[in-house]
Amino acid sequence: METAVKETENLKPEGKEEEPSVNTELKAKYHIKDPPTGDRVTAFLRAFAAILKYTGYKGVLDAYSRASMHCSRCTASCHLHEVSGKDKDIPCYRTNILLDIYKRYFTPGGRLKSLILGNGDLTEEMIDEYAESLYRCTACRKCMLECPMGIDHGLMTHLGRYILSEMGISSKALRVSTIEQLEGATHNTSAIPVPALKDTIEFLEEELLEITGQEIKFPLDKEGREFAFFPAVSDFMMEADTLMGNAAVMHATGYADKWTIGTENYDGINYGLFYNDFILDKVITQLVDEADRLKAEKIMIGECGHASRSAKMFVPVFGRDKQKPVVNCIEFAYQMLKEGKLKLNPDVIKERVTYHDPCNIARSGWIVDQPRYILKNFVKDFVEMAPNGAENYCCGGGGGTVSIDEIYDFRMELGGRKKVEQMKATGAYYVVAPCANCKKQLKELIDYHKLDMELVGLHDLILKAIIWD
Amino acid sequence: MEQWLTFARGPLFIATFTFMVLGLGRLVFMEVYQMIGNWLRMRDRNVPWRKNLIESVYWLIPTGKLTRFKPVMSVTSFLFHIAVIVTPIFLVEHMLLWKSGLGLGFNLPAIGAELADFLTLGAIVTGLILLAVRIFDPRARAISDFWDYALLVIIVIPFVTGFIVMHPSLLFTRMQTMLTIHILSGELIFVLMPFTKLAHVVLFPFTRVSSDFYWRFPAEGPRRVAKALHGDEVSV
Repeated sequence: METAVKETENLKPEGKEEEPSVNTELKAKYHIKDPPTGDRVTAFLRAFAAILKYTGYKGVLDAYSRASMHCSRCTASCHLHEVSGKDKDIPCYRTNILLDIYKRYFTPGGRLKSLILGNGDLTEEMIDEYAESLYRCTACRKCMLECPMGIDHGLMTHLGRYILSEMGISSKALRVSTIEQLEGATHNTSAIPVPALKDTIEFLEEELLEITGQEIKFPLDKEGREFAFFPAVSDFMMEADTLMGNAAVMHATGYADKWTIGTENYDGINYGLFYNDFILDKVITQLVDEADRLKAEKIMIGECGHASRSAKMFVPVFGRDKQKPVVNCIEFAYQMLKEGKLKLNPDVIKERVTYHDPCNIARSGWIVDQPRYILKNFVKDFVEMAPNGAENYCCGGGGGTVSIDEIYDFRMELGGRKKVEQMKATGAYYVVAPCANCKKQLKELIDYHKLDMELVGLHDLILKAIIWD
Repeated sequence: MEQWLTFARGPLFIATFTFMVLGLGRLVFMEVYQMIGNWLRMRDRNVPWRKNLIESVYWLIPTGKLTRFKPVMSVTSFLFHIAVIVTPIFLVEHMLLWKSGLGLGFNLPAIGAELADFLTLGAIVTGLILLAVRIFDPRARAISDFWDYALLVIIVIPFVTGFIVMHPSLLFTRMQTMLTIHILSGELIFVLMPFTKLAHVVLFPFTRVSSDFYWRFPAEGPRRVAKALHGDEVSV
């Protein structure tokens, strides 16, 4: 069933006189599966009340509702607001919609104030506006770095989407994939069945033999190994080079028999991070169950930002008694390079290379230095984007929005604009982005804006440069 | 007027100051209470407290952040905070107030008259610049409510009246009246502190650590929410 929100937009990037002005009518239709009918206001408040009662969000809402200074410093850092200039794209504006509803319905002072002044009621219209706003935001959390109070507007977007999903409003694209991952026969978001997985792996192993001359394998269902490996499952179809790079690194460093992929679950993707905490829980549980079945010591996530962050942050929470340490494949490659177990040829990559920091692994400072150490080890012409590291701009497709094809125009024209400017300014040919979602978004941006660039994963380049003894 | 003045600098001062301390204390208590409630149910307790403490201190003197984004507002706000914090606490005349009104016996260093004048004028000018930014910058205006404007006006009043009291040639009414307005306007701020965003003076460490703390969910929350809302037949 289609649409709850429709909008047309008149676009003009702010203050960019040297660029041709973009004048596009954008219809952002949000396709929703099984949308709620009836009294949505009650449904929203009921969902909100249950979440406040059973989860830990109440404390953060209390703090933010009292100490938000309304200074708008968050705007100076938002990839979306810098281009659209619209009030509704101010992170604090979006957060305050939720805080106002919270105060009005869930605090004594707010309820008293509404009795006296008679305003501030939640309406169906507000729900529509809020829903649209929540999916314009990618929850990249760059705004949090500029807020003097340290308010995490990404956490508020996360909470807003959680409330909406519990009352029946969530993106169809994300839901359909998640239903397949949790209840479908293939147990992954791309609906790749095991026979197709095995065929793909056979093909990759043949390719690897041709490229490297080595017999590199993807070990399936091996028990008791150090690493259970979970890539973004879409990599099997879309990012062959990245996966081959992953396998090559394991082989080259003496870890060929220390990792495995499980055929009951080979998908690190976790859309629960984007729209629902219960889904987040269930997907983590499924992942941890597989690692447990394989009797692996650790969980390794492939090149995927949100999969890495979901596992890193939430295996310790929802993994419960089966939790294991979580490692990102870049951390592993970095360690191997430092220990001298991985050797890379500095004469292979002749083109200029730049690096895009995926928000989910860079914003907290977790994976910032490691990929740079690796790249500078074998790339002669490496340039940084500005800004970079923990302050990097979102690709424009974060927070699950890259999977929502209906907002392609929005992502290309508005959300991804700052990124395009950044990429152009580097003059680079290779843009390295170790995140499955960023890869999709950046490839689409490169195509759409006709940039002379190639988007690659980090392990794609590593594969080209590995020195085989 | 005499009785107003005596009342304002005596019992009303003690009452409003106490109200402010208790009100802010209550807010801190409630935040800590919420955090303890989470803590008991959290599985991942590796909250980087030290890093957040350092960040909180850094944001008190955010030299790296001031000129990069919204430089006018940021620099003005920084100077404004210095002026409004130092002057009320360290002014010689106020020292007597702490001693007589609250019984605080120890001697804090006091600032001299010239520095006090400079800071007071600074507070007024920066306060008015912040008000102007809020009125004329569409981004700030979009998210400002009544209190965002009103508090800036209210906070300037004790500085204006205080300056006039220290420079009687500027008086346009009786000294006693001016002094009474000065004291009452300060006491208004005391009373407003727990109920408005002025509470950020005690809440800033909590908002600073909020991201690292509140992303570490109590593990059983989402399941219980799903069950409460959708019953035992919970699915995707």
